Amino acid sequence: MSEVRDPLGRAGYGRLAHALIACGREGFSGELRVPGSPGGAFHLRAGLVVAADSPGAPGPEALLLRSDRIDGEQWAELVRESGGARWPVAGLIAHGYAGAAQLRVVCVMALQDAAFAIVAGRVDGCEAVLGTEPYAPVAVGEPPARLLQEANRKLAALAALPHPVRPDRERPLPAAVDRPLTPLQRELMGHADGRRTARDLAFRTGRGVYTVTVEVARMLGEGLLECAGPTAPIPIRMPVRAPVVRHRETPPPPPPPPPAPEPIPVPAELPRREPGASGITEALGPSKSGASWKGFFRLRHGTAK
Amino acid sequence: MDHEALAQEMRGLRERVTGITDTALAAADGMLIAADTANSIDPEGLAALAAAGLGLARRTAEATARGVLRQTVTYGSHGCVAFYAVGDTALMVVLGDEGMDVDRLHRATHPALDRIGSILTEKAPEGV
Repeated sequence: MSEVRDPLGRAGYGRLAHALIACGREGFSGELRVPGSPGGAFHLRAGLVVAADSPGAPGPEALLLRSDRIDGEQWAELVRESGGARWPVAGLIAHGYAGAAQLRVVCVMALQDAAFAIVAGRVDGCEAVLGTEPYAPVAVGEPPARLLQEANRKLAALAALPHPVRPDRERPLPAAVDRPLTPLQRELMGHADGRRTARDLAFRTGRGVYTVTVEVARMLGEGLLECAGPTAPIPIRMPVRAPVVRHRETPPPPPPPPPAPEPIPVPAELPRREPGASGITEALGPSKSGASWKGFFRLRHGTAK
Repeated sequence: MDHEALAQEMRGLRERVTGITDTALAAADGMLIAADTANSIDPEGLAALAAAGLGLARRTAEATARGVLRQTVTYGSHGCVAFYAVGDTALMVVLGDEGMDVDRLHRATHPALDRIGSILTEKAPEGV
């Protein structure tokens, strides 16, 4: 199977296979994290793989939600009912969204699909972690060697197709066709926009990444899809009048606050008025000249002569 | 501003993090600078929403003494949207599907934000 990988890919896969098979041999219980692209993790119990997850393959939740078996609000309600469980299996069965056997199949498919995505991608290393629990484990675990063998068989089958594609490489576009299509072909043509890889289409349609990758390869072979080229860059749109950004200028420091006014002294008791303090007695007093009194009457009677 | 360098940063981020479906860059006031978005998404509207959302998040962080805002993430049943401030001048929005590892996205995005900030604010050479 080594011919489907480059030397770097072979070395990464070799490390993964060695670590995973050793985990199986030692009866390891825990998580084997696989950094890489897309990378992922295998969850083991007593040396058997009971779950696997990867950014490269839809998990059980995405498979259910994207395939319209249940909508987002119903899912949120089930999660609330189950006290926040990430995989509310009892609620799914009780409300009739899926049967117990269907859910078991979904979990097994998700496990095998994640294993395929990890093996088909770049593996940068392996790290065993204790004390983690998978959220949707299968009842009967898979021996690591068999899981790897199955993932490698799928990878080889894909590489043997007339138009082999990688789950995360080609970004196909629909071609103009006038012939009947299967429901899956119609769905993939509806979502293929030159920006999505087979992996992206698998998430978009709620199907396994291996299934979608094989179908994309076949559709490329049949002329239903076409690729601009594996290395065609994703177009980035820039408005003609893109704004020019500048750092915000630091505002000038605010002026110092005015000095606080002197506090007004508050007397201990109310002021007492002293007689004659206003001077009115002196102004109206008899000691004033008669002219001032005349002025006073002129003011009152207007035309005094 | 070097448009090609900006486009390379956006493409590079998408290649480094599995599950990114769309990215957009906008000025801090919500004016679109660059977009790598599907036809079903209005990039100008997305940029305006991102500016409003980040502004609100920044005010909330200040009002509650949570320090400098790093990012906000909106989770939906079909994926998530992450909003990042690019310095004090711009912002970046990253959309991902259910498979995107958000921690990995943050680790990959923060170094890219510094580079994007430098590209956005660098002055064009004289005479160009």
